[in-house]
Amino acid sequence: MTATLTTCPYCGTGCNFYLLRDEDGRLTGVEPAGNHPTSRGQLCIKGWNAHAFVEHPDRLTIPQIRTKGNLQPVDWQTALDLIHEKLSGIAEKHGPDSLMFLSSAKVSNEENYLLMKLARAGYGTNNIDHCARLCHSSTVTGLVETLGSGAMTNSLSCFDETELIFVIGSNTTEQHPLIGSRILQAVWRGAKLIVADSRKIRLARHADLHLRHMNGTDVALLNGLMRQILLEGLENRSFIASRTENFAALEKSLAPFHPEYVAKVTGLLPEQIISAARMYAKAEKAMIVYAMGITQHSHGVDNVRAVSNLALLTGNLGRPGTGVNPLRGQNNVQGACDMGALPDVYSGYQRVSDPAARLKFSAAWQTRLPEKPGLLSTHAIEAAAAGKIRGMLILGENPMLSDANQNLVRQALEKLEFLAVIDIFPTETAQLADVVLPAACYAERDGTFTSTERRVQRGRKAVAPPGEAQADWQILCALLQRCGVKADYAEPGEIMAEISGLTPSYAGISYARLDGNGLQWPCPDAQHPGTPILHREQCARGKGRFSPVAYRPPKELPDASYPLLLNTGRTGIHWHTGSMTRRSHLLDREERSAFVEINPEDAEKLQVRTRQQVKISSRRGAIQAAAKVTERVPPGQIFIPFHFAEGAANALTNNALDPESGIPEFKVCAVRIDPC
Amino acid sequence: MPQPLNDSTSIYVPQPCTLLEVSDLTPQEKLFRLCLDSGGELGQQPGQFVQVSIPGLTEAPISVANSPTRRGYFELGVRKAGTLTGAMHQLQPGDTLGIRGPFGRPFQLAALVDKEVLLIAGGCGLAPLRSLIQYCQDRPGDFKSVHILYGARSPQDLLFKEDLENWQSSETFSCRYIVDKSPGSSCYDGETGLITRLIGALEIDSKNGCAVVVGPPPMYRPVIAELRRLGLTGKRQIMLSLERQMRCGIGKCGHCTIEHLYCCTDGPIFWLEEIEHLRGAL
Amino acid sequence: MLKRLVERDIYDLLGRIADSYRLRVPGLLDDGTRTLLPWDGQQISLFGEPPQRKPTAYFFPQTDPLLKIDPRGQATPAAVAEKPFALFGLDSIDLAALAFTDRFFSNPPPDDHYLRRRNGALLIGLTGYAGPSRGFLPLVKGNCDLELIACGEYWLARAGCKSADHWLAHYPPGDQEQLAVLQRESAQWNHRAAVDVQQAMELLRQDMVPDSFWEEIASRCILCSGCNLACPTCTCFCVQDRQTATGTVRSRVWDSCQLDAFMREASGHNPLGTEALRTRRRIYHKLVADPERWGEPGCVLCGRCDRACPTGIGMFAVAKEIASRFAISSPD
Ligand SMILES: Cc1cc2nc3c(=O)[nH]c(=O)nc-3n(C[C@H](O)[C@H](O)[C@H](O)COP(=O)(O)OP(=O)(O)OC[C@H]3O[C@@H](n4cnc5c(N)ncnc54)[C@H](O)[C@@H]3O)c2cc1C
Ligand code: SF4
Ligand code: SF4
Ligand code: SF4
Ligand code: FES
Repeated sequence: MTATLTTCPYCGTGCNFYLLRDEDGRLTGVEPAGNHPTSRGQLCIKGWNAHAFVEHPDRLTIPQIRTKGNLQPVDWQTALDLIHEKLSGIAEKHGPDSLMFLSSAKVSNEENYLLMKLARAGYGTNNIDHCARLCHSSTVTGLVETLGSGAMTNSLSCFDETELIFVIGSNTTEQHPLIGSRILQAVWRGAKLIVADSRKIRLARHADLHLRHMNGTDVALLNGLMRQILLEGLENRSFIASRTENFAALEKSLAPFHPEYVAKVTGLLPEQIISAARMYAKAEKAMIVYAMGITQHSHGVDNVRAVSNLALLTGNLGRPGTGVNPLRGQNNVQGACDMGALPDVYSGYQRVSDPAARLKFSAAWQTRLPEKPGLLSTHAIEAAAAGKIRGMLILGENPMLSDANQNLVRQALEKLEFLAVIDIFPTETAQLADVVLPAACYAERDGTFTSTERRVQRGRKAVAPPGEAQADWQILCALLQRCGVKADYAEPGEIMAEISGLTPSYAGISYARLDGNGLQWPCPDAQHPGTPILHREQCARGKGRFSPVAYRPPKELPDASYPLLLNTGRTGIHWHTGSMTRRSHLLDREERSAFVEINPEDAEKLQVRTRQQVKISSRRGAIQAAAKVTERVPPGQIFIPFHFAEGAANALTNNALDPESGIPEFKVCAVRIDPC
Repeated sequence: MPQPLNDSTSIYVPQPCTLLEVSDLTPQEKLFRLCLDSGGELGQQPGQFVQVSIPGLTEAPISVANSPTRRGYFELGVRKAGTLTGAMHQLQPGDTLGIRGPFGRPFQLAALVDKEVLLIAGGCGLAPLRSLIQYCQDRPGDFKSVHILYGARSPQDLLFKEDLENWQSSETFSCRYIVDKSPGSSCYDGETGLITRLIGALEIDSKNGCAVVVGPPPMYRPVIAELRRLGLTGKRQIMLSLERQMRCGIGKCGHCTIEHLYCCTDGPIFWLEEIEHLRGAL
Repeated sequence: MLKRLVERDIYDLLGRIADSYRLRVPGLLDDGTRTLLPWDGQQISLFGEPPQRKPTAYFFPQTDPLLKIDPRGQATPAAVAEKPFALFGLDSIDLAALAFTDRFFSNPPPDDHYLRRRNGALLIGLTGYAGPSRGFLPLVKGNCDLELIACGEYWLARAGCKSADHWLAHYPPGDQEQLAVLQRESAQWNHRAAVDVQQAMELLRQDMVPDSFWEEIASRCILCSGCNLACPTCTCFCVQDRQTATGTVRSRVWDSCQLDAFMREASGHNPLGTEALRTRRRIYHKLVADPERWGEPGCVLCGRCDRACPTGIGMFAVAKEIASRFAISSPD
């Protein structure tokens, strides 16, 4: 038996566990890391079952090429040559910007770095993005503007010392279970808890105050809180004076948000707004925790600004037990952003439009680099549908199920001249590809992952990949070499050495230093112990900037023909499009098929019972799912998880995009339900 | 600790059997007639079940629907409820299946001897009860009298219609059935209402009566209440079958427990007084 | 037979055992987690917390192939390694857990798959002053083949059964007097949670714990299943089939009664259909149902579920809560 310490492949919490392997080389189970600061001998149900999908018979094991309409096995050489031939052919004929590269928050930092290098240095385009577009692009845009860094400001250990936690738009016990449990532990310890969420999530049952504001009214709510704080003089004057700028503009912008108005917009009571404002502002140390409920809106960036304003107003920044704490979803979505798998930045958020940065990277990579920022993934889908993007390489993502408006995505992908997909399972997206390459999964390769608290940690190889599957970094190296870019790394540690040479916030990070509990960036030099709390003395951008925002309603609200509001998200059991968790026996057993949460009032009106199949339709599509009648959702709202291909929530969702971050409005659209 | 074992087999290894006949009982239910490939008898007692195995779909517990007195084959009446049972419905004569068992505590036949026996089934419960009915049919002298009462949701849902007719015309039994509701369109001319109505209408010597009840969970409480009213208030007068999710059938997997009891080995057939006080049993 | 060993002898003894067994000894994993690991002849972690992973996992692993069915439908039981396990580093609690699980799987019809691994395995206790910071671990009462007792400077060793005597044959005799002292200390040793758990057991048996209590506790549960997966006396499993071109592998996989689908039936009927019922079951099963069935509680007081539970509602925590809330305070 061997026990290999590694990082959980699911959420951004960053738990560590051991993969256990028996004498025959089979994975037999997991064992939580007993002394790791996040896991502490504990895991959530996904972590406890993280070994289960690795050896699933559906794993891709051999490269495939589409011939006469069907995917046929070929050797690596042929598959890689074909990808290069097609991509470079398209680039030559239509320009490099007719290519798009989608990276993945599931693959390592090294692999994200290599893919962005491939896009930029190999094929000469900044058209690279990944699923952060769909989760925290609003955070990156918003917090970079207000604080100068788009990451969680504080650390998970801060939950152990804070006085108040304000959770808005995060179903933490299901989505970041081991952060959710820390919040619950903080509540037993005596910390106060405010939960703002339209659904009665588990945390809400333990909250001192549960604000069930209407989806999409977060700006009104947050502005209302701030106005009340100012009215009662509960703001932190000295912090505002010494550490922030643009306060006057904020103050002015808040004027209309008196409690009665906010109550009307949000569906809350004025008293709830007043008491939430008092409770938050009076705490000496308060943490704001948020996730997709804030970001996935057509006004997602505004939501983030408002959150940041609230923290700045009360001086809840730069100290233990405070902060603006976006919880990053995927285990490496933080890292994928850090590595520059984004259209406008290189690793470490160095802008492609900055000539100095460009110079630095082109010197290191010995090639000319494009200066025009690339396309956002959501725009790239539209561009593909319009025939402007012609070739695409997708690494470990399943946009067919994860992006808004499935029909549009299908159209776009089908229209491409060439689509290559690198994945571990034959996903819905891989079904549409011209070339499919089999990749090693997290348990089969080395690499680093950056958790939501900016903790860079090792993932370690525990077993050999199935069949001919190869690590993504090896595949990317082979493509880089075909582009004439040097890529002869013997192992991922050497890639990290290159990354730390080019990325100031990772400059002090090396594999040797990551054994143990990893390092929290910024880690600017080889002696630096890492940074648990950002913005201590001053913000990353200098002064914290108040960025006033106005309330804009969601793009599509219920009306007579589509009378219900659709909220989408995940459950605690499954992960995203289910390609891993639905192949993990216990998780699959627990939730086997698509369902829709309906409030008893609506169920009564619609005459539907639990377990009955219903048809849910929006202006963009229709699906079937089993009704689950529950008080968790408020009347007028339904909730569908997007895990299930056969009841794909994203056939319904609206791809109304935030104008700045390009995030789709996953949390609000109008639907109707009919019995079927 | 039990001693070294034979390595070539295991209690978890199913034995192959072949499908002889498939017939439709209702649109949702089929009757499968099988025989063991080994040529032996299954050796079940009425009330026992087998674990049916289909590679790729694991196993499902299914009661044996015929009496061991009918030799050379065994029958399973199966409702299409999900993946494995759905796959069974696709099978054709000649196909093979795996079987483990028979498992479980059977109906307490000895306790029925010389009694006025009430055999009460609801819905799918007629499948396991059928094995007992056939057993009674084949040993008519053993019992003072045998009353069969059966309730289904609608005329369409009535199982074993031919058997029902046969039992109704048999000397050995009194047999009545009833459906909850009969849509106007059907040509059903039998009784409608709840099964409790049939029980209320019985006249038996309650001291000497013994009832066997097999049906869906919501049926038990009202039926038991009705039987009590009839005077079956003593010990060992009401026997019932409790079904739970079962993964192993042999008291190991833990899915079928009711407090300290294991439905698969201590049951599925229990005396009412053994389980009545246990939380979640009924 | 009582023998006296010094630390070097332990390495010698284990070295000999390793020749004929798959020996597992306490070691520290990369992050310091103490667990039983294959022995490479190197340093053994002789003192410390009990191994984090439950010892029963060696005979009943999380994923455990039961059989293989070939494409023609022919099924053969999964082979298990020929060399049996020798587990070194078990305290009296872990040995009690193994005894509980042994009895459970041996109960007719015996689970041959478990027994195939378990038969012939060697269980070696590690007691005396071998706890965390060399704290005291009570001596074993039976249940093991060999026991090594840390006495500070040296070790006492005894065989739990005749057939194990030969392992110790060539060591000098140990001091019976010293053993008696340690046995007295063991008799007086009290588990920190025993009183609470005992009291909770009584209160549950007397039905003094209202449903509202279970609702409250259950509302803290984040359904991680860790309490069950970590528990050495939890034996529930579900069954998975994996199909490839060469056949189907049927395995059993650790299950958890905290999950909604644990008892959910195809019809949707679910005897454990609420969190409160499931949480009650987790505690009640160990403290009331198991004594009723097996004559002793299913909780051996190892504390693993309290450690694995992210929200602090493991057995000890819940028992404490029950004891403090519902105990009828004595008249004085
Ligand atoms: C003693 C006994 C006797 C029975 N006798 C009969 C009978 O005579 N006739 C009859 O029609 N039915 C009988 N049943 C019911 C029958 O066993 C179920 O309908 C059957 O198990 C459904 O299996 P399925 O695979 O078709 O359904 P599934 O789709 O599997 O659904 C069954 C339930 O089991 C769970 N489940 C499903 N797959 C798995 C899995 N792979 N691992 C773990 N859990 C899973 C799910 O939670 C699901 O709710 C009996 C049940 C018992 C306990
Ligand atoms: S909380 Fe997140 S990181 Fe931790 S085990 Fe669960 S999915 Fe993995
Ligand atoms: S303390 Fe917890 S883990 Fe240990 S035996 Fe008791 S219930 Fe199981
Ligand atoms: S360990 Fe705790 S949170 Fe996890 S399932 Fe058990 S009781 Fe629930
Ligand atoms: S079915 Fe497995 S214990 Fe009863």
